[in-house]
Amino acid sequence: MSLRESTKTTEPIIELRDVVKRYDTGGEVVDALKGIDFAAKPGEFVAVMGPSGSGKSTMLNVLGLLDAPTEGTVLLDGRDVTDLSDEEQTKERKRSIGFVFQNFYLIPTLTATENVEMPTLFGDDPDARERAEDLLRRVGLGDRLDHRPNELSGGQKQRVAIARALINSPRILLADEPTGNLDQKTGRSVLELFLELTEERDVAIIAVTHDPQVSKYADRTITLVDGRMQDWEMAGVTDQ
Amino acid sequence: MSLLDDLSRRFPALLMARRNLSRNQLRSGLAVLGIIIGVFAIASLGMFGTTLRAGATDQLGDIGNEVVVSPAFSEGVTELTERDVTQIERAASGTTVVPVKQRQALVTRGDERTVATLYGMERPGALYTATDGRVPDRLRQGAVVGSGVAERFGLQAGNSITVDEQTYRIVAVLTQQDGISLVDPNNAVIVSPTDFEADGYSQVVVTAETGEAATAAADEIRDTLNGREERVTVFELSSITEGINAFFGILNAFLIGIGSISLLVAGVSILNVMLMSTVERREEIGVLRAVGVQKRDVIRMILLEAALLGFAGGVVGAVLALGAGIALNQFVIDDALATFQPVNLLYLVLAVGFGLITSVLSGLYPAWKAAGERPVDALRK
Ligand SMILES: Nc1ncnc2c1ncn2[C@@H]1O[C@H](COP(=O)(O)OP(=O)(O)OP(=O)(O)O)[C@@H](O)[C@H]1O
Ligand SMILES: [Mg+2]
Repeated sequence: MSLRESTKTTEPIIELRDVVKRYDTGGEVVDALKGIDFAAKPGEFVAVMGPSGSGKSTMLNVLGLLDAPTEGTVLLDGRDVTDLSDEEQTKERKRSIGFVFQNFYLIPTLTATENVEMPTLFGDDPDARERAEDLLRRVGLGDRLDHRPNELSGGQKQRVAIARALINSPRILLADEPTGNLDQKTGRSVLELFLELTEERDVAIIAVTHDPQVSKYADRTITLVDGRMQDWEMAGVTDQ
Repeated sequence: MSLLDDLSRRFPALLMARRNLSRNQLRSGLAVLGIIIGVFAIASLGMFGTTLRAGATDQLGDIGNEVVVSPAFSEGVTELTERDVTQIERAASGTTVVPVKQRQALVTRGDERTVATLYGMERPGALYTATDGRVPDRLRQGAVVGSGVAERFGLQAGNSITVDEQTYRIVAVLTQQDGISLVDPNNAVIVSPTDFEADGYSQVVVTAETGEAATAAADEIRDTLNGREERVTVFELSSITEGINAFFGILNAFLIGIGSISLLVAGVSILNVMLMSTVERREEIGVLRAVGVQKRDVIRMILLEAALLGFAGGVVGAVLALGAGIALNQFVIDDALATFQPVNLLYLVLAVGFGLITSVLSGLYPAWKAAGERPVDALRK
């Protein structure tokens, strides 16, 4: 922990200020987030826990510029990104944010390398292939470069997905239940990979999870209940 | 394939599009089949029209360049005088004017006899060519026989025949005339007009270089001879050929219209295929958008898929249509190479273009729909 102590002084890379997210579905109004204040610093690994329907995914979507908050402000590297246009949001997602999903969401027709390259495919990025192969080697899939997703195990798929999330060297990695579809052991190896990434690349990782072993690896765990952050755990450092 | 791979490296949308299409090959294949049928229908029906027109024009020969002037029987004029002929020559300058006398005559050779048309023409060489012997510049004595008569009696140049009471030496046998003509020489014997008792001519044949010149000459003759009173009836065949051309133009448009309907159906099937495939790929497209692929790139990718379907179908359809055109031309007008004329190439290009445009248009809605969905919505479980 002492290593990470030093990073605590740096400015947050991503921040939510008093964020409210309200869904209005034909008469019924749901407040999925009811005033969230949250910040993550570079190199920090934050676990987000809480019961089903408490707003975890919603919070992650707002952090990932996939969804705009109804009220409040989103700051990315100190810059207000709350009201960006779709095109600017997309550009910012490509530049600064990596996503890892519970279902991996790899493209079945593309090889592992092509899947990792995928975020760069529609732009001019000549050395993307090389970076993709390096990343796959980094996550331990150097011998699976040309395999299609259906030729990979769940853990391997998630590693490909993590490599894909890292292809543009993002500052933030957002993961929604990254170990949800993996067994204990495979999940642990993914979490170890996360931990290494925070140290190697100074990436801030925010992972939504039901899996208690995630918080063992995280620097801190926050708990959402009914759209609010629980104070009693906010300050609490993880139980190592 | 290596070219495609090379292209795919350079245009990643192409890579994605190709892979997506290969995902459900049967479905893609059926969509392509629709386009093939549509493009084939348009191109082959268009070429079919060209062949029909060529066949018909062939039948008509070059009567389009002919104007036939006859006496205005309805006004009581029964024959054309030397004065009329001079006037016609003056009015239709730059054309060949051949006055013709005509009656039925009994043709005899040995024991055989037949009734044939007897023409009196001073210059039959201006209108016809010979297979045997030579058509003289001025026919003063002897007779020129049409191919039909020659065949019936087994005649050659140098033989002699009797027409009514008079015996003629044959100076030439005419080439068989295939086209329709108002002065048909096949079953006729041509002699000098001085051998006719009547002074007047039954008709005057005016031959121009082109159809337009023929029409102009006809107008001029009408103006000059029918100025005060109706003297002559002018019959021009160029108006008929124009009519025939117009008819085939309409027929072609109609055939292509039918072809277009099948292409429209193909478009609907592509719309359906693209819609299905984008709905199936909803989450994938959501991920693309989440990891930073712009809306317009998603649209481009899906349109490219539709365009690939259209292009594949178009090329195959065009090749098949070309094959059908060659077969048809070989069969109908006995000239396979007639397929390769500019009009037909135009039909092919047009058909492929239509196929491509139909496909891309059909891809527009699915593309717009898929790209318009917010990634959060696409990825919600
Ligand atoms: N698009 C939407 N329209 C309406 N309500 C929504 C929408 N998205 C989420 N909600 C509601 O917002 C609340 C929070 O949903 P969210 O998906 O963030 O929960 P979660 O904590 O991720 O749950 P889980 O652990 O089951 O994934 C839920 O009550 C949900 O029904
Ligand atoms: Mg969730």
